[in-house]
Order: sequence, then C-alpha cells, then structure tokens
Amino acid sequence: MFKLNLKIALRNLWRNIGITSINVGGLAVALAAFMLLMMYFTYETSFDKKNPNFDNIYIVGRTFPDFKTNYTPPPFGKAIKENFSEVVAVGKMKKGGFELAVSSHTSTVFTKQQLFVEYEAAKMFNIIPEGGLKKPNGNEFLYYLSKPYMQTLFPNKKDTKPEMVSIGSRSAEQFGEVRGSIVPDSHSNISFDAVSIVNEIGTGESYGHPNYFTYIQVKPGTDIASLELKINNLYHSELTKNGMVDEGEDVTETNAFLDPLKNQHLKPKAGSDANYKVLIALSVLGFLILVIACINFTNLSIAQAAKRAKEVGVKKVMGAYRFQLTIQFLIEILMQCLVATVLGLIIAEIVLPKFNSLFLVHLSIWNKENGLIWQLPVILLFITLIAGIYPAMVLSGFKPAAVLKGNFQTSRQSYWLRNSLLVVQFSIAVIFITGLLIINSQLKYMRTQDVGFNPEQVVYVKNLVYYTKPEVFAPVREKIMKIPGVKAVTVANAIPDGSGMGGNGYTVEGKQHSLSFLDVDYDYFETLNIKLKEGRAFSTSFQADAVNSAILNEAAVAKYGIQNPIGKTIRGCNIDYTIVGVINDLKAEGFEKAVEPTIYAINNPCGNPKTEIMVKVDEQRMAEVLAILKSQWSDINKRDGDNFRYHFLDELYGKLFAKQEQLQSVFFAAALLTIFIAILGLFAFAKYITNGRIKEIAVRKILGANDLQIFKLINTSFFVMVMIANLISWPLAYILTKKWLETFAYRIEIPILPFVLSALITIMLTIITVTIQANRAVRANPVDALKYE
Amino acid sequence: MIELKNIEKYYANKGVKSYILRHVTTSIKQGEFVSIMGPSGAGKSTLLNILGMLEEPTYGEYHFMGEDVTAMKERQRIELYRNHIGFVFQAYHLIDEMTVAENIEAPLLYKKIPGAERKSRIADILDRFNMVAKKDLFPNQLSGGQQQLVGIARALVAQPSIILADEPTGNLQSAQAEQIMDLFKKLNQEENITILQVTHSEKNAQYGNRILTIEDGVIKEDVTVK
Ligand SMILES: Nc1ncnc2c1ncn2[C@@H]1O[C@H](COP(=O)(O)OP(=O)(O)O)[C@@H](O)[C@H]1O
Ligand SMILES: [Mg+2]
Repeated sequence: MFKLNLKIALRNLWRNIGITSINVGGLAVALAAFMLLMMYFTYETSFDKKNPNFDNIYIVGRTFPDFKTNYTPPPFGKAIKENFSEVVAVGKMKKGGFELAVSSHTSTVFTKQQLFVEYEAAKMFNIIPEGGLKKPNGNEFLYYLSKPYMQTLFPNKKDTKPEMVSIGSRSAEQFGEVRGSIVPDSHSNISFDAVSIVNEIGTGESYGHPNYFTYIQVKPGTDIASLELKINNLYHSELTKNGMVDEGEDVTETNAFLDPLKNQHLKPKAGSDANYKVLIALSVLGFLILVIACINFTNLSIAQAAKRAKEVGVKKVMGAYRFQLTIQFLIEILMQCLVATVLGLIIAEIVLPKFNSLFLVHLSIWNKENGLIWQLPVILLFITLIAGIYPAMVLSGFKPAAVLKGNFQTSRQSYWLRNSLLVVQFSIAVIFITGLLIINSQLKYMRTQDVGFNPEQVVYVKNLVYYTKPEVFAPVREKIMKIPGVKAVTVANAIPDGSGMGGNGYTVEGKQHSLSFLDVDYDYFETLNIKLKEGRAFSTSFQADAVNSAILNEAAVAKYGIQNPIGKTIRGCNIDYTIVGVINDLKAEGFEKAVEPTIYAINNPCGNPKTEIMVKVDEQRMAEVLAILKSQWSDINKRDGDNFRYHFLDELYGKLFAKQEQLQSVFFAAALLTIFIAILGLFAFAKYITNGRIKEIAVRKILGANDLQIFKLINTSFFVMVMIANLISWPLAYILTKKWLETFAYRIEIPILPFVLSALITIMLTIITVTIQANRAVRANPVDALKYE
Repeated sequence: MIELKNIEKYYANKGVKSYILRHVTTSIKQGEFVSIMGPSGAGKSTLLNILGMLEEPTYGEYHFMGEDVTAMKERQRIELYRNHIGFVFQAYHLIDEMTVAENIEAPLLYKKIPGAERKSRIADILDRFNMVAKKDLFPNQLSGGQQQLVGIARALVAQPSIILADEPTGNLQSAQAEQIMDLFKKLNQEENITILQVTHSEKNAQYGNRILTIEDGVIKEDVTVK
C-alpha cells in the first residue's frame, strides 16, 4: 500500500509540478536561512562547551555603584582557594596591554592578544600547547606562540626545541624563549595569539591592583548562591584587613559576584548583552521565515484539496481508516519537506561563505559540532507537522457522501483560513520591508551627520613609546612635519574609535562632577579638524598650556552649567586648570552613546601615557607620505621604530558602524526572502483561485465584461488582504523600529515614507503577480471554458 | 440482509424541516436485485447513501446483516466496507493518478490481502472484463463505459455481498449501459451478489427482480419483476 501511495503522490506532484516546485523551492530557501541561523545560534551558545568542567567554572567579578567589572585583584583568588573547600581550583589570567613585535632572525610577527595564564587556569580551560601542558618550575614563564606565528618566524623548524626571539623593538634588546607553538581554540572565551604559562601571576600585587581575571572551578552540585555570599563576605573582610577601606567609606559599596562560564560569551554580568539580544532577534527572524514558508505550504496544500477530495471519498468507501489517509498525506508532505531540506542544505552551502564573512565566523555544514545531525531530522519533522498536519486533517476528514456527489467545493471555513494565512505572510514581509527602510534611513543619517571631527586622511601610527611630555614628542613632530604633505601631527592617550576614556572628578565653582579626560598634545584639534566654539586651541605660544590649560567640550560645559567658561578654573587631579577653549561635541564613540562630558588637557598626572600618534595628511600625497614615513620611521621614532605600522583612522572609526551595517544586511536578506516566499505563495494561490473562477470569468465575459473589469474583480480580494496586512504590521513595525532607534543616543525621527513605501511595494507586487495569473483566464476563449461541464 | 424500519431524513434549515425521506420501511434479502426509481430530487440517492452508511438517518432503525447500524462504531462500519459493501458511482470516481490495475488493487490493500493473492484476483477480474490490455492505462485514457467497468471491477474484487450503484449507467450510451446491466444480472444470478441500483431507465430496471419507486421521500410502489 505504501508503494501505491508513493506512486500516487509522485504522480500528483508531477502533475502539479509548477505548484510543487514553488512549494518546495520556497521551503528550501527558508530552510537554508533557518539552518544557517541555527548553526550560528549553536555556535554562539556553545563557547567552551567542550570543556568537561563547563558547568562548574565561574568568573569572579566585582560590582561598583555604577558599573560591574571582571577585573579582580590577585590576592583575592588566593584567599578564595584557601577559604572554601568547594572551590577545587582557582586560576588567574592577565591580558597583555598592547601589540608586541616578536622577531626571529628572519622575520617579525605582532602579537595582538598576549595572555598570561596560571598553570591552574590553563588546566581549567584546556590551554594545551603542542607537545602537552608542562608545569613551569618556580617563577618560570613558559611562552608559546600561536601556530601560524611560529611558522612565520621559524619556517624550517622541525624539532620541538625552544627558540630565542627578540620581544618588542629590536633596539630594546629584550630576548625571550619561545617554548613552542599552540593552537588556540577559537571556540573558547579565552582567546589569545601568544600565551605565557606561569605558576602564579600578580605575586607582588595587592588589592590595589585589580588587573586580573579570576576563574574558579567548583565541585559539581555546589550551591552557587551561598558560595557567592561567602565570597562576597570574604571580599569585604579582605578589603578591611588590607587597609583598602578609607575612613568613613562603606565597604559594602563594592561587592564580589560569580558569573558562570556559560554566560561569558553572550551575556556576561560585567558587559553588554547586546550580542545575546541580536542572537535572539536573529533566531526569531529565522523562525519567522520558516513559518512563512510553512504557511505557504499549508495554504497551497489546502488550495489543492478539492483535487484530492474524490480520492479520499473513494478510499473511505473502500474501507480506509481516517488515520491511514492522514498518514498518507503527511508522508506526501514529508517527502516534499525532505526534498526541500536537501535543497536547503545545498543552498546553505552555497551562501555559507557570505554568511561567514558577514558574521565573522567560520561555520561549516559538514562539522559534527554544529549539531545539524540531530537538528535536521527534528526540523524536518517539525516543518512536516506544521505544514502538513492541518491539510492532512482537512483532507482526511472529507465525508465521502459529500465529496462523491460531484460539484464539491472546499468549505468557506478553509477559505477564511487561507486568506488569514496569506495576510500573516504579508504582514511579516511588510514588517521586514519597513524595518529595512528605517534602518537604512538611520544609517544614512549616521553617515551624513557631522560627527564633530574628521577622521579622513588621518593616519594612526602604532607606537609603544610614551610621549606624555610635550617636549619629548616635539622632535618627533618636527621630523614628521618635515615630510611634504603632512598637515598636522599629534599624540594622545586615545584615538576616537570608540575606545573609552578614563574618568575623574573635577570641580568648577564648587560643583563637582565626574568627567572623562583625554590627554592630548599640541595640534590635536587641528589634526582631527575639531571646531572650537569659544576660546582657542592649545598652542606653544602659551607656556601655561603645557602646565594647566584645559579645553572642555560642550557637554562638559552644560554639565556644570557654566556661563562664560573661558578663563574660569576647573580643578582636578590636584591641578587648577584654566579653561582656554570650548569645542563642539564629537561623536568619538559613535551614535549609540551620548557624548561624554570631557576635559582635554596636555598635562594630566592622573591620566594614561600618550602613545597614539596621529598624522593628518594632504589627500593628494597620502601614498608618498606613507612611503616616506615607512622609510624614515626608525629614525623618527628611535625607541620603537623597527616596524612602521599604521591604520587609517576613518576605517577604525567606521568599525563602530559595522554592527549596524551587519544588521542592515541581515534585514535586507530577510526582507528579500520573506517577500520572495510570500510572492511565490501568492503566485500559486492566485493561480489556484483564477483556475477556480475560469467558468465565472467566461460567463462574465459573455455577459459583456471587459478585461479591465475582470482584472479588477480578481485583484480586489488580494488587494484587500495586502491592505489588511499593511494595517496590521504598521503599528508593529513602528514599535519594533522605535525600540531599535532608542538604542541610539543620536537618531532620526521615525519617518512616514517607509510605511508608505512598503505598502506600495507589497501592493504593486501583489497586483503584478495576480494579474499575470488572471491574464491566462482572461485570454482564454470563454467557449472553451464552458464546454466542459 | 437489510431491514429498514421507519427511516426518516430531514434537513433543518432556519428551523424549517425539509424532509427528504419519510417513513421508509422495507427489507431486502440476500440475492435480490433491486432497482430504485423515481423523479429527480425524490430522495433516491439519499436512501442509497443511508443504506451504504455514508449518511445517517435522522430517525429510524437500520439493520445490516442482523446488526444495528445506528449503534455501530466507526471501525465496524469500516469493516463492513472492506468485506461486504461495494460502491459503484454514476461519475465512476476512479482515482485519476492510478492505473486501471492500481485502481482495482486499492480496496484489496485496505483488506490486507497478501500480494500474491492480490495479483491473481486482479488478473482474474481483468480477464473476465476483457481489460487485460488496458491494465496500465490511466482512467482519462478510457471511454466512459470502460471506466465504469473498472469501477465495477473495483467494487467486485473485494468480493462484496452487496453492490450499491447510484445511476451506474447515467453517463453512458445505451450500448454500454446494456453491457453493464448484463454484467449486474450475471453477478446477481451466478454469484448471488445482492444488487441495489438507482436508475432512471425503465428498461434498466427490468434487469432486476424488484422495483422500488420513491416520490417525495415516500415509497410509492414496491413491485416484483416477472
Ligand atoms: N445537505 C443537504 N441539505 C439540504 N438538502 C439536501 C441536502 N442533500 C440533499 N438535499 C436535498 O434532498 C433532496 C433529495 O436529494 P437526492 O436524494 O440526491 O435526490 P435524487 O437522488 O432522488 O435525485 C433534494 O431535494 C436535495 O435538494
Ligand atoms: Mg441522485
């Protein structure tokens, strides 16, 4: 019987090959999208999951009144280990702060993520160098480089012996021993390209040096809430014992917390859960696309029901049970879903490279770890049920007495259902189109808005030498300025690429507020083309500028509410600064955060060292200038001049927009997909509807209706459905995009145009699709249509 | 074989009952060949559907082979379809996607008859109906008369004790109709299969041995054919 049913199914599908391919094709495309997103979801949610202690590892973090951090002081971990028996291991790590050159005799690599890891932590996280993890002796540093670096430095190395390398600038003559290479797990929270394994780090450091990550591993089944409480109490008592609490200060202002390893990648307590939200949004999106495709399926299967009604009736009078028929139809749909799944896999494989580059991942369909092996059958079953259960129930429920009478029409009820399903599809499509258009407007606004400075033609040169004092930087500036085409040179302790600044308390006219500070050198404002609102920029002609002059931005002036700020005094870091200028706010951190109230000064003992060199170059002469800088760099920057490395500031700043551009691409793809699938469904549905009305159309034509009237007749109901879809989705799209826009400090007002446009787009597409279908019925000779009765 | 007592059927529409069948009481014995006649809309098809358990009467008792049909469970009814009742339709109702042989095979599958026996039964019946050459054709490749022959073959292959036929020759030309009627008569006489047919043709009614005439839902006449 199965064989016979299979034959019937294939013959049926073949006879309706057009609709079948639309059905299966649409589903395949949706499945491809869904599979990709699901692989991405699995990948993002399974960082470190291979670690056998995954569920028992926690990071120790600290809460301050207005922020949380995972940086902890080194003695704390030790104290935890000594006090709590349920903590089986404690391991600390520290990040190296900057890019470091590592050279062999022949070549140089730059480590960007140097990590210092305690032996215990290396064990906890399976950080295992090639040749195995060795325990260091005493204070030994076991230094390993990632495999590609090692291959660049020692291309002919065959043995496993350690090698000597110079670390940092060659002229600094610092040497170290590389023990070998390591392949870092890219699917772990712990990422590095060079690692030093040590027995203990931060040995000499106290509670005043919170520069370390402390990971603990607990016994399975430990009550984390109570452990957290105990650890917090320990933290308070340690602070008091070590004299870290000032007179009158409340020790409970800062608290220690535990954060499980499984939350570190997506929603760490100390950090943003934006990635988590994006992931959830993407999953919902993938799910919606799949649902739309399933709706198509349901819709078309029911639309074709009349064709199969006779079969149902006949089989029932032959003695078929209803469930046998239900299963028969479900298997038919399962077959189509199976084909769609295979096609979907092929499509996914084709678009995977693009997807990977968009999401900056290396997913592969043929990787066991992605979970597709067990997810695919589940999805297959799921879509078969979603798409198939309703049609299978409707079809198998036909009463033979009714369907065998001839002249059988599927009921009004399923007509309503089909229409509402179509409306749902279009509603989702409208939301995506509107969303896409609004995202586009915001991005356009971000690209065209004045950000307060000009990062173009600014070269950011990497450097490790401290140029905190202006007189130390002066000769460097002088040499660079000699190059024809260089317009301005400066050094600061941060570049405007979204990297945060330090903060400190400052007092003006008795009012104290916390301000961000940026330590700059002469020509900072000129290099970045920042406009002064009042006063003047720093200049060598004012001796005081190198001592106690300050420039505020508008936000800082507004924060204090100072009238006529020029000449007023602002006190901070034990210095009375004189305000010499006010600049326009610059959106150095992009559009999401409001501009920080900031103080700019040349002299700031509380600040960080100035290392970030920026050079403004004449557009026409960029290539020349870069070539000259490269050739002269060792002379210009004597102490770190081995390697001239640079970035264009506008590219670094542009990365702040990358996330939104990624979102835009995703929405673009989603909007295209949903429209594509909805139109496919509409195409087939319109075909079915016009087929059903061929006789009616013929009669109307004989009665004298013209073509236009008939097109109108057929289009009307679809037009109404699309309008309803628009009405439903507008408020939804409005709420969703408003929520999204609220994540920006600087944003557009929601425009009307996207709503109108998405209505126009959907209506146009609908009318075109339906008219193409109706055209066949209208062109047909009415006599032919009426002959068969 | 069939006992009907006071069968009533009506449709209630906005509180108004429109009766299709009233006080239908009759019995049909194994081996009878009964023709049901009457004007269009009289309730013939409704009566046949009730007899075939495709519709339920509003009132009345119906016993099929001694069993009360109204009290029957769905499963029992389906068992009767599988083993005792064969249907023949005016519009043939062959399944378009199946070949002649497959259409005939279908009821045997639901009866769970093993493959070898299915093959031999199909071969037999194709042979008997002179349709061996047509067995791999699809219904739309056959004439109306041939389609109806397949329809009857399909009803017969499950070896039913009764065949219910609603205007089996309604769509056929008279030569083809005659062939079908001869076949019914033969089945009735040689295999003792009970046959109930609805027909408009006086001539076709004469093939049977009893004629029930229905008008406005009431049995007007019940005559035996000589
Ligand atoms: N579902 C229904 N609802 C209301 N009336 C019906 C329904 N089915 C059939 N009828 C009516 O029952 C009457 C008898 O129909 P039917 O048994 O098909 O007549 P016949 O086969 O004798 O021509 C007709 O008048 C028909 O309109
Ligand atoms: Mg009738």
